[in-house]
Amino acid sequence: MKKLVVIGAGMASGRVLEHLFESAPDAYEVTLFNAENRGNYNRIMLSPVLSGEKSYEEIVTHDEAWYAANKVTCRFGEHVVGIDRARKVVIGQNGEVPFDKLLIATGSAPFIIPVQGKDLPGVVSYRDLDDTEAMIEAAGTRDAKAVVIGGGLLGLEAAAGLRLRGMDVTVLHLMGHLMERQLDEAAGYLLKRDLEKRGIRVITRASTAAILGEERVEGVLLEDSTGLKADLVVMAVGIRPEARLATDAGLETGRAIVVDAQMVTSDPDILAVGECVEFDGNLFGLVAPLYDQAKVAAATLLGEPSAFVMRETATKLKVTGCDLFSAGDFAEKDGREDIVYRDPGRGIYKRLVLEGEKLVGAVMYGDTADGGWFHGLIKDQTDISEMRETLIFGPAYQGGAALDPMAAVAALPADAEICGCNGVCKGRIVEAIEGGAHSLDDVRAVTKASGSCGTCTGLVEQVLAVTLGDAFELPTAKPVCGCTDLTHEDVRRLIKAQELKSQPAVWQELGWKTPNGCHVCRPAVNFYLLADWPLEYQDDPQSRFVNERNHANIQKDGTYSVMPRMWGGMTNPEELIAIAEAAKKYGATVKVTGGQRIDLLGVKKEDLPAIWADLNGAGMVSGHAYSKGLRTVKTCVGSDWCRFGTQDSTGLGIKLEKRLWGSWTPHKVKLAVSGCPRNCAEATCKDVGVVCVDSGYQVGVGGAAGMDVKETERLVDVATEEEAIEWTVAFVQLYRENAKYLDRPYKWIAKVGLDWVKEVLSDPAERAALVGRFDISQSVYQKDPWAERARPEAARRFLPLADLTLEAAE
Amino acid sequence: MDQAVGADVRPFIQVSEVWVPEGDRLVLAGGCYGGLDAFEASSRHESFAKGEGLPGKAWDEARPVVLKGFEGSYFKRTEAASAAGLTSAVAIPVFAGAKLKAVLVVLCGDDANRTGAIEVWQEKDGLLMLDDGYYGAAKHFEWVSQHTHFPRGQGLPGGVWASETPMLMRDLGSGYRFIRSESAGRAGLTTGLGLPVPAPLKGTYVLTLLSARGTPIARRFEIWDARDAKVGKENEAVLIDGICARDGKLWDEDNTRRVAAWQGVIGRVLGTGVPVVESGSPGLTAGYDSVVAFPIHRGGELAHVVAWYI
Repeated sequence: MKKLVVIGAGMASGRVLEHLFESAPDAYEVTLFNAENRGNYNRIMLSPVLSGEKSYEEIVTHDEAWYAANKVTCRFGEHVVGIDRARKVVIGQNGEVPFDKLLIATGSAPFIIPVQGKDLPGVVSYRDLDDTEAMIEAAGTRDAKAVVIGGGLLGLEAAAGLRLRGMDVTVLHLMGHLMERQLDEAAGYLLKRDLEKRGIRVITRASTAAILGEERVEGVLLEDSTGLKADLVVMAVGIRPEARLATDAGLETGRAIVVDAQMVTSDPDILAVGECVEFDGNLFGLVAPLYDQAKVAAATLLGEPSAFVMRETATKLKVTGCDLFSAGDFAEKDGREDIVYRDPGRGIYKRLVLEGEKLVGAVMYGDTADGGWFHGLIKDQTDISEMRETLIFGPAYQGGAALDPMAAVAALPADAEICGCNGVCKGRIVEAIEGGAHSLDDVRAVTKASGSCGTCTGLVEQVLAVTLGDAFELPTAKPVCGCTDLTHEDVRRLIKAQELKSQPAVWQELGWKTPNGCHVCRPAVNFYLLADWPLEYQDDPQSRFVNERNHANIQKDGTYSVMPRMWGGMTNPEELIAIAEAAKKYGATVKVTGGQRIDLLGVKKEDLPAIWADLNGAGMVSGHAYSKGLRTVKTCVGSDWCRFGTQDSTGLGIKLEKRLWGSWTPHKVKLAVSGCPRNCAEATCKDVGVVCVDSGYQVGVGGAAGMDVKETERLVDVATEEEAIEWTVAFVQLYRENAKYLDRPYKWIAKVGLDWVKEVLSDPAERAALVGRFDISQSVYQKDPWAERARPEAARRFLPLADLTLEAAE
Repeated sequence: MDQAVGADVRPFIQVSEVWVPEGDRLVLAGGCYGGLDAFEASSRHESFAKGEGLPGKAWDEARPVVLKGFEGSYFKRTEAASAAGLTSAVAIPVFAGAKLKAVLVVLCGDDANRTGAIEVWQEKDGLLMLDDGYYGAAKHFEWVSQHTHFPRGQGLPGGVWASETPMLMRDLGSGYRFIRSESAGRAGLTTGLGLPVPAPLKGTYVLTLLSARGTPIARRFEIWDARDAKVGKENEAVLIDGICARDGKLWDEDNTRRVAAWQGVIGRVLGTGVPVVESGSPGLTAGYDSVVAFPIHRGGELAHVVAWYI
């Protein structure tokens, strides 16, 4: 009988042996080495063992009896120290074993991030039963805290298991969303929400700086200086193929042991399978291809023809109650199309990625029933053109004609649920309509249907249309863009009502039809989120127009203009010299603007950080001449110099500008303060214009002097400068919180009515609250973008990590 | 895990019965009385209005109810129960949305000699607290449980609450660190089944059945997933977890067991949405004397079926 030696008793080699003993039980005499002191068990089921939902006995694949029945000589708990290819022996710690054929299945080792403290007791990886038992032991301490580094499959399963065991768990993930290799941002958002529902804290974009502790682990320090207490740190950032034995034996290795399609290494008598191999440049981490390899390796050992081929694999997460599925490639590329289905009420997200007539990727969360079917379509490269319209609904819907939405609504039975949030069925809505509710608002008032998340609004309107016939006219409110049926106003309302604090939350909870929005909706949603949740939401530069991304105004020849802020239009000789020198140095054209600023035109993009640094050096900050935010406050010389001046208009202008600069608004905002009714600063055609009079200050709002020309309307007359500032700030904040993106104040006021604005602002408590919220926002956003980007090393460091699936908003 | 199945098993739960609404009353749809014939006979003549007796109270309050001690209580069959040695009962209503489908009543007795736990956990101020429970002789464990609370995601009750999914925990009292493990180990508790109990009126409830080796609640547990999100539009269910004293693990990642509506006991639950108690036909009950198959509805639809066999 020929001698087969196997190094590693993992799932891949276990499957090789099963095939071998099934086909030719007497072909080989087998010796099996395993560094772990046990045989083959189902390693991917370790997470339920960790959580207590399975026992170790249940996940044992081959027990003692199995090895005995197949006459396998087991050398468990013994490390292999070398392979002597010339003598054809494997050298174990306890002696040599000769082989005719050798199978290397050494698997992989966890990747440990090289940070200070990584070797402290209490820092564990998560690969085998010993690790699992160490984690269970750690969870036995009352109120113990765990930090899991890595938000991939393994890390999240560890986190869920430790949480079930009673630990206080935080997951740190370097990337912007969880499981970024298997999930898109939308599914990652749902997963995060699901885990948070279990009491697990998830921190994304978290880079570990050090693991802290003296005798044993006590905490984790992040790059941003956040400190987290920890009694246990689980490193689950990835795996590295374990190929050292092969390398030492002189076998060909790359990132792992190189094998051909027969699983044979560079030595014809040595085979390798599992996570330790590299085939055609690919490494392996999921079990399905390992089992394919095992089948091929067994055939090769028996001299039968067989070849390993790569195939698409699907991902599942073993956390009870989390249903996710991912297969294929779902990155956005030219020529690809998405079909997206969302059901916010049930937390369902499905996305199919099509390339031509083929399905190339699928991501599903919350409803994975059709995952297997989609996986089949991807693997088989099926032509899906015939079923494109109904593909997302799965196999149950195939073969029928495309649905006419109205016919589908008409065909719904009375007990079909229309509004998932409030549990309102079609029959109840029809009853309400028959009882006299003939508009969406009426139906909403009577039944609550569409009153919560609002995504069934279209459906309720269709029920109205079906029930009332031509007596109901479907409204023509304009949606934000093709990604949604909701209007800007709806989106703003729902962001507040549902406390949506991230873009993925908006896409999912409001049922966006596209994965990440588009160049129309993203800037708007980005603004709404940062205006409503300044502390929680992180501004997304990729959702901004090019000028805002580059912090400069692009000109028709591709160069940029640079404009420093001059508070209230005041400057001094030092600033003017610095501006003049910068203009000379960078070859800029100099223009005095209508807003009392000096504009430097024709600056090349690559010179921007340098000119900003020069101007910063002279004490000047960005004038935000490009932003949807405060632009300029224009003033006249006021009572200091002018014979007619009634108040210090320049001083007020400077105070207003220093208070308001840096704030983002729905559209640009221009202010002016005139010192007397002669109005030299042209305050009566600004978004906010203050005209000083003997008795105080007249604050006007909603002026315009562009495509439309419009005089301001009087908001209030106040006696003191402090009141003028308070009213102005409160007005700007009210505008920020309520206006549609890209509506200037005059357009917004036309929609809501000046009376409403006055009514809100005339309540002192409301005014104070608005000012308070504005100041909170300014604590985050009032910063000079030049200063952050002027230093080259900082410019590199602060460069946002580009998500290449996002198309920049232009 | 027990390997041998003794014929003389003394089950923790002695009677299981299913009451279903008929008109404005609950009537008996089926039950397993473990040879307590007189109690069975008295039950067959009984029916309950809303608010009447234990089943009626669970219906009226739309929440699980634990009743320890029948004498002088609202329990209607006190005399027959006392004669049968039954001392405590738990009633669990089954609601699909706002509609009552059935009430499952389990009765226990012989308190000094039987150990196990049937617990009802209720959410209060963001934590699950013990609403009430029946523990038989496990008095220390009862005390520990009364002084334990579970945040979301922690322990069997917290895990069920957070995942809205029934869960089956192994080896509660052995080397593993189940939150109440030390006391559970002393009480001999081995396997725990937790399930969400939807309450249409108000509140969040989780029911846990903790089974001990000597006087088990069950020797075989199964959890079936029947959600559209898992099985599609067909009225089917897949076995997602299970463990059996005779057959070992019942789950198999590679060959998932699947049943359709009306196929066997689980299929009957799928078809009707009502619990099934079956006994006296070992062919139908995996070789055991009896089975309780219990539906869990979510959002008005059948989501899971759990079954326990003894």
